[in-house]
Amino acid sequence: MLRGDRGTVWDSGRVESQQESEPDVRFTFANERTFLAWSRTALALIVAGLGVVQLFPPFPGVPWGRHVVGVPLIVLGAVIAVVAYGEWGRNQHALRRGDPLPRSVLPTTLAVVIAIMAVLSAVVLLLSAVR
Amino acid sequence: MSEGAADEDSGLAAERTALAWTRTALSFGAVGGVIARTHAIIGVIVIGIAPVIWQLGRLAAGRAPPDQTTRRTRLITATILLVAVIALIVASFGKATPLRVSE
Repeated sequence: MLRGDRGTVWDSGRVESQQESEPDVRFTFANERTFLAWSRTALALIVAGLGVVQLFPPFPGVPWGRHVVGVPLIVLGAVIAVVAYGEWGRNQHALRRGDPLPRSVLPTTLAVVIAIMAVLSAVVLLLSAVR
Repeated sequence: MSEGAADEDSGLAAERTALAWTRTALSFGAVGGVIARTHAIIGVIVIGIAPVIWQLGRLAAGRAPPDQTTRRTRLITATILLVAVIALIVASFGKATPLRVSE
């Protein structure tokens, strides 16, 4: 099934020169599952951030410690949810055109921020131990 | 590949996708559960999102047209953003009730 002139939601402003076709449903489903997996990652980060701020006992001597660790986790969750949606759209678009899939920025983002969070947590713990 | 085999495989893909939606729904429940520990009403509202997401997943198994899939993914993203905002408000202004620790 060819849909040569059908603009999609995320590129309605662009010129449609290449022909687009409905991709194999299995690819569409796989793309959707990838999006859902990132969504769960985002929710897990939010729940982790909430847990640190709301359920942990305060770090002795570092009253802002829980917020420094928890709030960035919640923000990262929101960012990952939005980026995952954008990548889902880009992948779907590439599948329609038969283009190679674009590179995902999510693994790098997640790895870098988790590494930063680990250092931050270590700093808070050390400060708490010193005071 | 025979027609039957192709159908069977896309059927399993649909099932895997529906299960992925179920897991996502459960994740919303988990977030609601943590919020409910300190803020019962907000937590119960967030837990209430879970069955809605689960229902969306059941629709996903029935080969929805692409436009509907777009709407669903956008709905999920918007909902997560909303939950993140709620979480930030609860984390910033809510009173914390730490788990009991032995001295």
